[in-house]
Amino acid sequence: MHPLAWWVWALGLAVAVTRTTNPAVIALILASVVLVVLARREDAPSARAFRGFLVLGGCIVAIRVLFYAVVGIKTPGVVLVDIPQVALPSWAVGVELFGPITLTGLLVALYGGLRLATLVVCFGAANALANPKRALRSLPASLHQIGTAIVIAVSVTPQLATAAAGIRRAQRLRGHEPRGVRGLLSTAVPVLTDALSRSLALASSMDSRGYARPLTGRTDRRVSTLVVLALVAASMGTYGLLDGTSPRWLGVPVLVIGAAAAATASILAGRQVRRTRYRPDRWGSPELVVAGCGVVAAVLLVAATATDPASLDPSLSPLGWPQVPPVALLCAVVAAIPATRVFRRSAARGAA
Amino acid sequence: MILFDHVTVTYPDAVRAALTDVTFRVPEGELCLVIGPTGAGKSTLLKAACGLVPHFTGGLLEGRVVVEGRDTRDHPPRDLADVVGVVVQDPASGFVTDTVEEELAYTMEQLGLAPSVMRTRVEEVLDLLGLATLRGRPLADLSGGEQQRVAIGSVLTSHPRILVMDEPTSALDPAAAEDVLAALTRLVHDLGMTVLLAEHRLERVVQYADRVISIASDGTTVDGAPAAVLADSVVAPPIVELARLAAWHPVPLSVRDARRRAAPLRERLVGSTANRRPSVAGDHVVRESAVTVLAESAVTVLAAPAVTVLAARDLHVRYGRTHAVRGVDLTLSSGQVVALMGRNGSGKSSLLWALQGSGPRTAGQVLIAGPPGAGPKADPASMRPRDARLRVALVPQNPQDLLYLDTVAAECVATDAQIGAAPGATRTLLDGLTTGVPDHAHPRDLSEGQRLALVLAIQLAARPCVLLLDEPTRGLDYAAKRHLAAALSRHAAAGAAVLLSSHDVEFVAESAGRVLVMADGELVADGGVRDILVASPTFAPQVAKILHPVELLTVDDVRRALAATR
Amino acid sequence: MRMGAGSARVRGASAAASRDGDALPLGVRTVVVLGLASVAGLLAFGWPLILSPGSGLEHSTDAPLVLAGLLVAVLGVVFVSLSDGGIDVKAVAVLGLLSAVGAVLRPLSAGTAGVELIFVVIVLGGRVFGPGFGFALGSTTVFASALLTGGVGPWMPFQMLAASWVGLGAGLLPRRPRGRREVVLLVGYGAVAALAFGVAMNLSFWPFQLGTGTSLSFVPGAALDTNLHRFVLYSTATSLGWDLGRAVTTGLGLALVGGPILVALRRTSARAAFGDSARRAPR
Repeated sequence: MHPLAWWVWALGLAVAVTRTTNPAVIALILASVVLVVLARREDAPSARAFRGFLVLGGCIVAIRVLFYAVVGIKTPGVVLVDIPQVALPSWAVGVELFGPITLTGLLVALYGGLRLATLVVCFGAANALANPKRALRSLPASLHQIGTAIVIAVSVTPQLATAAAGIRRAQRLRGHEPRGVRGLLSTAVPVLTDALSRSLALASSMDSRGYARPLTGRTDRRVSTLVVLALVAASMGTYGLLDGTSPRWLGVPVLVIGAAAAATASILAGRQVRRTRYRPDRWGSPELVVAGCGVVAAVLLVAATATDPASLDPSLSPLGWPQVPPVALLCAVVAAIPATRVFRRSAARGAA
Repeated sequence: MILFDHVTVTYPDAVRAALTDVTFRVPEGELCLVIGPTGAGKSTLLKAACGLVPHFTGGLLEGRVVVEGRDTRDHPPRDLADVVGVVVQDPASGFVTDTVEEELAYTMEQLGLAPSVMRTRVEEVLDLLGLATLRGRPLADLSGGEQQRVAIGSVLTSHPRILVMDEPTSALDPAAAEDVLAALTRLVHDLGMTVLLAEHRLERVVQYADRVISIASDGTTVDGAPAAVLADSVVAPPIVELARLAAWHPVPLSVRDARRRAAPLRERLVGSTANRRPSVAGDHVVRESAVTVLAESAVTVLAAPAVTVLAARDLHVRYGRTHAVRGVDLTLSSGQVVALMGRNGSGKSSLLWALQGSGPRTAGQVLIAGPPGAGPKADPASMRPRDARLRVALVPQNPQDLLYLDTVAAECVATDAQIGAAPGATRTLLDGLTTGVPDHAHPRDLSEGQRLALVLAIQLAARPCVLLLDEPTRGLDYAAKRHLAAALSRHAAAGAAVLLSSHDVEFVAESAGRVLVMADGELVADGGVRDILVASPTFAPQVAKILHPVELLTVDDVRRALAATR
Repeated sequence: MRMGAGSARVRGASAAASRDGDALPLGVRTVVVLGLASVAGLLAFGWPLILSPGSGLEHSTDAPLVLAGLLVAVLGVVFVSLSDGGIDVKAVAVLGLLSAVGAVLRPLSAGTAGVELIFVVIVLGGRVFGPGFGFALGSTTVFASALLTGGVGPWMPFQMLAASWVGLGAGLLPRRPRGRREVVLLVGYGAVAALAFGVAMNLSFWPFQLGTGTSLSFVPGAALDTNLHRFVLYSTATSLGWDLGRAVTTGLGLALVGGPILVALRRTSARAAFGDSARRAPR
């Protein structure tokens, strides 16, 4: 499976999640995400990090609730726990510690934390499902050299870790047994020296294997002009987007122009690098299905909130059980479709 | 076709030229061997042939180097990538990707070949080098020989005409070395490739060479037919030294040719009393010092009676599922130099580390004697490393892992401080082992032999009773190996025991008095060096194979036997 | 490079041992690009202070996604510009290996609270190999360690840009001090840079963390000093310990290993002889 397909799916779900604070909807989407990860993940170190993301999500919720309890702005309502307010000295202007914890306030904090936690878990799902090394091979040709540096870093790190262990073992042979921070640092110097001599040997090997044979061409000027244009558009567009008082055209449209300029620059720069790819990941129907599910889920919720903002309301005032409108249910189901292996490829192609 | 025309190479900041006025021509389809003592300039010659000198390394190149019609003056290394393939000594350091298949395809990706062409060529090379079963394996999981073949394969995919290899078999065990050499000869004879090969251990390669280039220490070269060049060369395998001793002309290069000439020599030696010396296992006979360089030929005997310095009983070492060492019993006496042999994966390294105490030991007992007056024997695993090194010292497979300071002088001073010896003790030891190591040199800039000597000096500074060495002969040339054998012999004569593991049969024949053979974690043989080495064809040194059934192991033995018959 | 048409001598790249050749030389164009990218980056980091009511990003959960995407694009474009014309293969290899060293150190140090050793590698690498290399090293180290631990999240582009700034700054420090003075300079810079990294990351994720319902949260459209005041309180209350710990560890690490590692890096730089290829590459 092309790694980008999983990233599109995860980002689509992340966009969908940020549309609402309705905990029932968010919980459904979270359930879909976890279901897909359990069904489709590979057995790689990055896949095992998913648990860490779930833990991180839990911490986020806990921190939100804690902050609400300590420094939150307490609005009147049904009181759960009555803690007296603590007055702070005058330099901490506007900050009130503690105060009565109301149900509404607690729920607001919970819902906000849950939304954020699910967003983080979506990223965790993308990490677990998309093989990072295959993702690196999909970098555009214009980033070929930086991509090679990252590929080298990712391939060499496990070997460096083994070499570091070997060096620690060897230093004990000398009776040299450093502990703690000093020990860590006295292993670091030989590891680094090793790594540096390896790097030159690696560079010589890459050079004699024809690395980065340049094509002659004079597209330098166009690329740099487009790059400058893209960056200027990025700055202006960001400012326009953040500052509510600036005209509408200074926001998203300028950013779109900048993105187009960046893409063109990348394509032009990529023409200068002559290199082909061995067995590149193909983008076929399974990839379309997975990516499409994410996009559809996002579109559904965006359309729902755009047309009727109150439809996904978590019903906090008056306080009531959160409702699940059918649109949200459909969204969660669509998000869970990649858990099934639609359009399965033949086994000879390799694991997805 | 490779042409060097009056080539002189001077590195930046160098005092003298690395290569001086080198001229030779290697026609197409030849296996050309480059030999010479360490530091003579073999690597420089190989790098000049593929354009790395001067474009990558810097320096001044005078003269002309023409490779398949392309002058390296105008073509940096990446423009020569489709005609020259370069394989370095440590293949793992040249790997760019993670799996075998991707590594094979890397060169073609850089050259911009079409994907269909890449697919077919990867399949071809997998078949040519017998790598088809290893296709999707991660590179880190492969053995040394397999990695070397993958490295060769990764340069073959661009269909170069010339292959340049720097010491391909130095880190390999005999079986893997045979595989690599077989692959190379197939490339030369079936595909007509030209191979330029630098090697230290010439015993196996010399018979396949079509041409030999010998580099002297001043950077000049002599090239020609193997028999002619080797007859006068400083660096020579045992078969050539035997030929010089027996005055055979022209010099035979393979065991078969030598045996055809050796009949008169065998008859002279059969009656000699020198080859009927007893060599019983565990005997206290010390191996004669084999150092002709130091002009000593006396038999060294121990000043004091021999004592047991190491007693190991029922040693077991387990790593997870693997049972690396199974129930090994071992005793070492002072004055012995013992060799541990066996194929890769038989548990030799695990045994040595377990004896030293740092390695995992699942069961069993090891007792090592201390210096005189230090008390009873103790288990090194129960002592702190600082105390354990006074009793047992280990020189690991990568000796440079022990070094972490900037200069040779700093390392010596640190060692003196660590063991509480008089300042300068380690430096004196180092000077006794090898000459020409400046104080301010960075340990990584030293040659292999000098680095090994430095680590040996550091480990011997505490005068341990037991010295363990794990594959010490990697990357050493014949002279360095002789120095090492002499040093080990001296240390043993001073009352210590030496246990070394090695694949190098010639070195074992030269330095050891007793041989242990390990297979699958168990000790399967324990006997005198002559009995073990002569008994099996795999373990026999060249001289023994040539002179069979006469049981002599090295050229020095033959020399002494001949002297005794007169 | 030829020395005269009829001559049969070739001089390769010369190792100017007294001058550290920049591994990734910066020409006028790349300096402009870096400046513009920094402006965009500052806007992205300081977004809570600039945000005003009525903007499209008022939803405080939207902003990090949009800004992360923006920063990814900005970094991509900067690297397209840096790679334009080719990077020396030795620079690529050293970049990869130093990123690997940083990636190995990161999980080792993350166990102890607030300890991050990657800045030691980034600062030293930027100091020896130049500001362009330092910028690239920051990004590649963070990216590689995120890939290896499976921790690619919306915070990663922010971390990449901030680490790149640390490396860039290390390369721009005055060249002249050597020996002990150099180590002191680097220790000071490293501690300050690590602290600034923490503050910047805090600032960009401040609304993410708290929402708008607390008295420490940012207020869209409020005066700059109000928001800054709240931010300072928030920082002190939450991550000051973390940030100070990071600053102290970076400074300590640089003090302890800075000397030997600088020697090792300079040795590699001399052997790699980047200076000559800089003259050959079109900038």
